[in-house]
Amino acid sequence: MRSSRALYLFAAPALALYGGFFLLPAVQGLRYATTDWDGYSPAFHDVGAANLTDVVTDDDLFRHALTNNLKFLLVVVLGQTALALLLAVLLAARSRGSTWLRALFFLPTVLSSVSVAFIWKFVYDPNFGLANAVLRGVGLGRFESAYLGNEGTAILWVAVAQIWFHAGQMMVVYIAGINQIPGELYDAARTDGAGRWQQFRHVTWPMIAPATALVVAYTTLQSFKAFDLILGLAGNPPRSSLDVLATRIYSTFANSQLGYAAAESIVFMVAIALVTFLQNRAARVAHG
Amino acid sequence: MSYSRRQLLRLATGAGAASLLAACAGPGGSSSSTSTTDGPISFAHWRAEDKEVFEQIIKDAKLSVRQDISPSNDYQSTALQKLRGGSVGDAFTAFRGAQFLEIAKAGVWTDLTGRALVAKYEPNLITAGAQDGKQLGLPYQLVFNTPLANRDLVTETPKDWDGFLALLETLKGKGVTPIAWPGGDAANAGQLLNVMVVNNAPTDDALGKIETGEAKVTDDWFLTVLKQYQQLTPYLQKGATGTSSDAALALFAQGKAGLLATGSFQVSGVRKLGATFPIDLLAPITTTADKAKYEGVFNATFILGVNAKSSKPDAAQAWLDHLSDPAVAGVYANGTAQHVTVQGVEYTNADLKALAPWLTRKTALAPRFQFSNLDVRGAVENAAVQVVGGKSPEEAAEAAQKVVDQKK
Repeated sequence: MRSSRALYLFAAPALALYGGFFLLPAVQGLRYATTDWDGYSPAFHDVGAANLTDVVTDDDLFRHALTNNLKFLLVVVLGQTALALLLAVLLAARSRGSTWLRALFFLPTVLSSVSVAFIWKFVYDPNFGLANAVLRGVGLGRFESAYLGNEGTAILWVAVAQIWFHAGQMMVVYIAGINQIPGELYDAARTDGAGRWQQFRHVTWPMIAPATALVVAYTTLQSFKAFDLILGLAGNPPRSSLDVLATRIYSTFANSQLGYAAAESIVFMVAIALVTFLQNRAARVAHG
Repeated sequence: MSYSRRQLLRLATGAGAASLLAACAGPGGSSSSTSTTDGPISFAHWRAEDKEVFEQIIKDAKLSVRQDISPSNDYQSTALQKLRGGSVGDAFTAFRGAQFLEIAKAGVWTDLTGRALVAKYEPNLITAGAQDGKQLGLPYQLVFNTPLANRDLVTETPKDWDGFLALLETLKGKGVTPIAWPGGDAANAGQLLNVMVVNNAPTDDALGKIETGEAKVTDDWFLTVLKQYQQLTPYLQKGATGTSSDAALALFAQGKAGLLATGSFQVSGVRKLGATFPIDLLAPITTTADKAKYEGVFNATFILGVNAKSSKPDAAQAWLDHLSDPAVAGVYANGTAQHVTVQGVEYTNADLKALAPWLTRKTALAPRFQFSNLDVRGAVENAAVQVVGGKSPEEAAEAAQKVVDQKK
């Protein structure tokens, strides 16, 4: 009995903070989603489910942001996972220079997103930028682009910046996973005549499945939350070609439509839950 | 220090109650400032480029004023929420249009009607700070949202659309970019829309009517605007839709572009980048000469006010009084290369002197700020960007109208 009371006592501050700063605002968010509150007026009106219905069925800007978010997510998850894995496989073994290379690839992770946005703005600038200068330099000037100004592909260029930003972090997770693999497995594979590719396919890849699950889950969440890098690269407000769910909700709030922003947040939350659920299912299927 | 279990429980309960109360701040809940009257007042604004001049003014007057500067887009989005708290922005500024009206709706402006400082301003230039017969704010800066021209390159002033296109062709022939346009920066890309609309629009409030539904993006007059954007496309710099404001500014300042499609608020930025050429304003006249109503566009942004939620209203008003003195306004104007609405100011800055004739020319109040819904404004402006990016005017207009219909 005494230990149970002590348990409640120690949990009380955390529960109070969690309740006060997460649960209660979340419940209030649900309430505001049914109003036309602008965020500062003393009065507001109930609109029922109209906000939610509009978000889901009649809002091209939100739908466009969702599409962008999914495109961004797909490119970042695939690109970042593949790059991190490649770097980890190449640099996992302790060799001369590998420590420096690891540090080099990890370096972007320690930068602030504002700095990363600044760097990539310079890379992507159509007139003064590095990307077009390199293309011109190697005689591929015909492929010069406006990058962030391309309506259909702008979000993919932001995804490239995001991959550069975080791949090093995921590389560390993979290196940790690879270093956990017993050396005897590789010895046995080599004895059986397995080459480097076969060792990777039949030993490394299956053994780092937990690390892959972690990398994919983390990258998915990170991609859904993408906000500051996009604002840094695209400006505030970003135009629709670069709008994702987080920036859309922010813009709606800034447009003095807090009730509608709350409804968008609910749909955002449901989208995250759905993607997480599908991802877990896929992971379960993949691992039997 | 040790606590009994009872004390710990009280502490936990107290913390929980405090957090619950904090979370309960809902509609109508306003937080009043608890700051004391000591210390500097906060002057909230978005013009980082004016920081040094304001610091000098503060220093010369030995006033206790702290500048709270946010980037313009952030200021547009979040200023009201900050001002309501009262701890930021004892004196503050606001954009004309939606933000001015929102701040008025929230009761944050102090009514300045009848106060002595109001008489120091040019009455017809401060109407954007008035509502329902009350002078809530004082538009301070007078900017021209009209493209800048490098007069070493642009030697003529076309009076109609065909003449403007001919000028662009001449500039192209000289090997320079005819127009530098920051199409990748939504806030500055929209400046060009002002001059593209004023002469094409059937009425001066036509953009506002798009938001209310009385006019449509697909109307002929707006399609004309979009088709003219299409005609401008070959004369914009490479990758125009992805060009940042800084890059467009640099192109112009380096003499690589004849026109910079933003406005006079960037003159000092051009000079800071080392430009020595003479700068003038030049708007595309989008109609025939006989149908042109306006030569350009001005805006009364940067509206000064005293925060009604401030705990230091007297000090905030004293700061506005000081800024309203013609000599001080002159320091601001000449130091920032911006005209002001205060009467009797002597302009000594060479660029201001050169642009002073524009103070009496036929210019329209920038129509872009007639939009109060930022999504609607974004959709309409984005239609122009999409046309430059290769979309047909009709398609871009229809897409924008769909968003307007959903958001109005």
